[in-house]
Amino acid sequence: MRLPRFEYYQPGSLAEAVTMLSQVPGARPVAGGTDLLVNMKHRVEQPAALVSLTRVSELAGVRLEDGATVIGGGVTLKHVQHDEGLKARFPALTQAASVVGSYRHQTMGTLAGNLLQNTRCRFFNQSVEWRSVRALCYKAGGDYCHVMKKEGVCFCTYHGDTAAALLVLDAEVRVEGPDGVRQFPLAQLYSGEGKAPLSLGSAEVLTAVIIPDSSATDGDTAGGSTYVKHALRGAIDFPIVGAAVWRNGDATRVAFTGVDRSPLRATVLEEALAGRALTPAVIEEVAPLAPKGVTITRTTVQPGSFKRELMSALFARAAGSLL
Amino acid sequence: MKVLNVVGQRVPMHDAAAKITGQAQYTDDLVLPGMLFGKLVRSTVAHGRIKSIDVSKAKALPGVKGVITGMDIPDRVYGIVPKAKDEHALAREKVRYIGDEVAAVVAIDQETAEEAARLITVEYEELPAVFDPLDAIKEGAPLVHENTPGNVSAQIHKEFGDLEAGFAASDYVFEDSYYTHAQNHAPMEPHAALASYDALNGDLTLWSGTQIPYFLKRNLSTTLVIPEQNIRVIKPKVGGGFGQKIDMFAKDFCACWFAKELGRPVKFLYDREEVFQSTRQRHPMYLTLKTGVSKEGKIIAQKITAHADGGAYNSTAPLMITLSCFFVMIPYKIENLVYEGYHVYTNKPVGGAMRGHGIPQPRFAIERQIDQIAKRIGVDASEMRLLNAIEAGEPHPAGFIINTCGFADSVREASKAIGWAEKRGKLPFGRGVGIACASFPSGVANMSHLASGCVVQLSSEGRVSVLSGAADIGQGAETVIAQIVAERVGVPMEDVHITAADTGLCPLDAGTFGSGVTVRAGNAALNAANDIRAQLFPVVAEALGCEVDEIEAANRLFWVRDDPDRSVGMRDILRQYQYIDRSLPIVGRGAWVPPADSATTLLTNNGNLSPNYSFMTQAAEVEVDLETGRVNVIKVLTAHDCGQPINPMLVEGQLEGSILGGIGYALYEDSTCIDGQQHNPSFLDYGFPTMMELPEMEGIHIDTDDPIGPFGAKEAGEGTQLAPAPAIVNAIADAIGVDFDRLPVTPDMILAALKKQREEAAGEAR
Amino acid sequence: MCAHATAQATGTEKGRAMGAKRILTLNVNGDDYEVVCAPNTTLLEALREKAFLTGTKRGCDLGACGACTVLMDGEAILSCITLAVEAEGRSIRTIEGVSDGGELSPLQQAFVDHGALQCGFCSPGFIMSATELLAENPHPERAEIQRRLAGNLCRCTGYVKIVEAVEAVAQGAEGGAR
Repeated sequence: MRLPRFEYYQPGSLAEAVTMLSQVPGARPVAGGTDLLVNMKHRVEQPAALVSLTRVSELAGVRLEDGATVIGGGVTLKHVQHDEGLKARFPALTQAASVVGSYRHQTMGTLAGNLLQNTRCRFFNQSVEWRSVRALCYKAGGDYCHVMKKEGVCFCTYHGDTAAALLVLDAEVRVEGPDGVRQFPLAQLYSGEGKAPLSLGSAEVLTAVIIPDSSATDGDTAGGSTYVKHALRGAIDFPIVGAAVWRNGDATRVAFTGVDRSPLRATVLEEALAGRALTPAVIEEVAPLAPKGVTITRTTVQPGSFKRELMSALFARAAGSLL
Repeated sequence: MKVLNVVGQRVPMHDAAAKITGQAQYTDDLVLPGMLFGKLVRSTVAHGRIKSIDVSKAKALPGVKGVITGMDIPDRVYGIVPKAKDEHALAREKVRYIGDEVAAVVAIDQETAEEAARLITVEYEELPAVFDPLDAIKEGAPLVHENTPGNVSAQIHKEFGDLEAGFAASDYVFEDSYYTHAQNHAPMEPHAALASYDALNGDLTLWSGTQIPYFLKRNLSTTLVIPEQNIRVIKPKVGGGFGQKIDMFAKDFCACWFAKELGRPVKFLYDREEVFQSTRQRHPMYLTLKTGVSKEGKIIAQKITAHADGGAYNSTAPLMITLSCFFVMIPYKIENLVYEGYHVYTNKPVGGAMRGHGIPQPRFAIERQIDQIAKRIGVDASEMRLLNAIEAGEPHPAGFIINTCGFADSVREASKAIGWAEKRGKLPFGRGVGIACASFPSGVANMSHLASGCVVQLSSEGRVSVLSGAADIGQGAETVIAQIVAERVGVPMEDVHITAADTGLCPLDAGTFGSGVTVRAGNAALNAANDIRAQLFPVVAEALGCEVDEIEAANRLFWVRDDPDRSVGMRDILRQYQYIDRSLPIVGRGAWVPPADSATTLLTNNGNLSPNYSFMTQAAEVEVDLETGRVNVIKVLTAHDCGQPINPMLVEGQLEGSILGGIGYALYEDSTCIDGQQHNPSFLDYGFPTMMELPEMEGIHIDTDDPIGPFGAKEAGEGTQLAPAPAIVNAIADAIGVDFDRLPVTPDMILAALKKQREEAAGEAR
Repeated sequence: MCAHATAQATGTEKGRAMGAKRILTLNVNGDDYEVVCAPNTTLLEALREKAFLTGTKRGCDLGACGACTVLMDGEAILSCITLAVEAEGRSIRTIEGVSDGGELSPLQQAFVDHGALQCGFCSPGFIMSATELLAENPHPERAEIQRRLAGNLCRCTGYVKIVEAVEAVAQGAEGGAR
């Protein structure tokens, strides 16, 4: 399956990259390419130009900065999972990075790329030949959604692993574009909509992920963080449901991936847990609230009822492991 | 276990080094000067009349060298079973499934070919389609093929004994229904073909990733309307088949067609998605079993009704449904049996031979029902299997001749090894053990093309060249044949060089299917090697001053059995051979066809359908994650009677691969077809087991020595894929008390069943 | 509902002007290959079709099976979803660069001896992934082996002998992977 043709740029700096992204018509950034190139082979994404970020050194490195840990957007998932400092303080992130796809994908893929992956659906992530059996779907440039069976909507599901972990770690992202740098909570990166799932300018680059020290859990804190993934197989697959839990004392944060158009914090669950100590009884009591607030659609073949049960089960398992 | 000089040894595959260094050449690795690249255009509707095909834009694209549709090629159908031929290389007038080929294009590079294919527009008049065999057989259902009313393209009705009397004599009669799903073979190498044409003598050469070079040659001759003698099919290295590379495919026809038309070599390579949608898959099946048993659990009568979802074309239909029928008659004694099997057309991807070929499906049903019946009547499921076990030498209702049978031993050994007595019904909730049994033929006898030939040449320098028709697709057929020859001629493996599956050079063999290669082609090689001995040993006897039957041979040395110091080397003998003016190379010829007392045809008569039969019991221990529904297969073990293994390492490899495929069948793999289209035609979405799904595996050798198999061997390639799935689902039943009647058993089904169980328990508690 | 593929396949028809071919220098197994590629050529395509190194296999072309695994600067990557142009300036090692002349590496020999291959199509990918692992960790535990090789699919062997072969090298053979 050949890639479509495109122009290719290899800037040596972030400034150059941003310039190219803003000046070259239809240009998109690419790093590892494990998401974008597959979608391009399927011709659901066909950028006229790719701007490679692999030589942009500003995207590398893990460093400490003013009460936070800053992970360059270009850091590979392999490096994220092997970083001892991250593992000690933010284990959910380490765990999430270590279960993305296969070790090959972790070697090639970057943290930013994993966060920015496109939403997915069994009608969208298919070749042009496969999709030509039916009308072009809304996300791919047509009008109709084959899941919702109506026009003008898209419920493509977000399936990234690291986003759930970073949401419970209260991470922020730093983004640089032609209008300068902005930094904001990770949750705001996601529009919550399936067709255009990212709130990112077309010439913006996600340069760093910032995790505040207050999210760090280590030997001293009464808690920890974890990411639990359920997929069909033990490797290669996207999560059917992924659950991340962070706990420090009586504060608990929960996030899910694979269940809606964006990764999200389980706000109903968190409210029920607010100020309460996490115990097996409490976990059992609130677990049924895990699926509240998400819109699960049949973008995958698994039934919604199953995914909702999984959300409760994975929350309980993740939370239970932090007791 | 026999361990001889070469046979019985754990010899690496003769081409292992070529493969492990990347030098082995598979079809897509072959490059010919001037080669063109082809791409197929496929139907986007499940059932429709072709109204028009516009190829003008494709033809106009620079670099495109040719475009054809079904109306440009001869109106000839083909198929692997002559009486069931129903496929055109490119659809004429009608398409019958999403993925059906309608046009082909070749261009100077792959990129242009793909682009050109996308520029071809086809207009269809959509017809009502049918997606389930039980709907397809109903009155008024759309006809997939006009000449097949009721959409049943093959069927079999067999009666043995007296069914009604059997039920009347039974203490219990149970009826249960089951469903098994579509599994894809998913060989690592996608299908490919490369053709080349010599205009001077009209010779066509096709390199194809095929399991059936000789049948392919025949089908090409029929469809291209070229004499068979002008066609040479060469099988390069093949990256797995499992049955999916049995059949001619559009890529074979179109590569040849264009090579002849354009006078240039042409290559077609399928995308993985095309392999999922448009090659073959395991037939989904609906099965109903009505079984009468005594109160001890003896099976007295059984009626099996099976509807196989054939998809849009026949492929092996009559053979599949017949195998499905006959091989429920082993490994249990069933005196009174009625089997009604139907192969039904639907507007879906095509069912074909897949490892086990129509037998895993009824095997699942039978093995599940045995467990269910055992529980219902209060007998032990392992004991029940022993009670019904076939023994060697007993008369058989269908006329099978079972010379060796380690089945009862396999039940005992497998049960012991899995810890049946300690674990069955006794493990904590969520953990369980199960067993299931199977038997498989070593190739089916008494069909056309079932003879196999072999030529062995011993040259003056001691090189042993073997020409065999055997199609090695990775299972090691060439290696096994080389071992047999090496053993009999008395040389080490490295002296044997095998050329196989080249129809221009090698004698006929039917191909790799039905697990018959070791017995059939192995015996042909054995006969050829014996022919070498018959010519050589008189010279050796002269040299050693002994009788021919006193000679032992190994490692290029001949010696007198009772006086080993009297010996002579191969080199010396070959020199002597020349001096006495005998011609070299010494050429040995051998052929073999399965023995039969009377002519039977599998599809119409009973009789001994296989030279011999393997037997096995597989046992599984599972742990069910009660919160997520995931089933963790902890261990699978196989007590296996495959006769004397020619190469124990290769037999283990077959077993281990079979089991993982069986685990996939039970739990992970499902070619999900919705409205005629596969929704997961990729390695990402399909559920092909990874190394993370690997359980502990154990093999227990049950020793028998078969008189018909070469060196006592029986099949070892397919039987072991029949029973892992029922063993696992039986173990799940032991673990959580839920009887699943369908495959695959997925986490959502487990959670739904556990929920229902809790609700019922709560209901009863009130 | 019949959609037409052409509506969606904008692709190269108008795009022929863009992404023109250029000459890339790819350092493969120590040799510099000059190949002519457009940016949309994957490393797998460049290796197989331009450099005629066909040992690296195409199993799915979408990064889901590992048959296309090669080493790039020592890291095992999926060449079917790597652009050839990204491999310029890096050192690529394919299966052809693992054996030393006619001599198999200890890992390759272990695969042969243990029967860890049948059809052999997945084997080059496994060798590259396992070579990376053993270079990093000469004595990995079984769980680590499974995790690191889980991205390589095999249909024939059931993985048992592959794990045994890697373990054999991990547990004792001197030299390990090359």
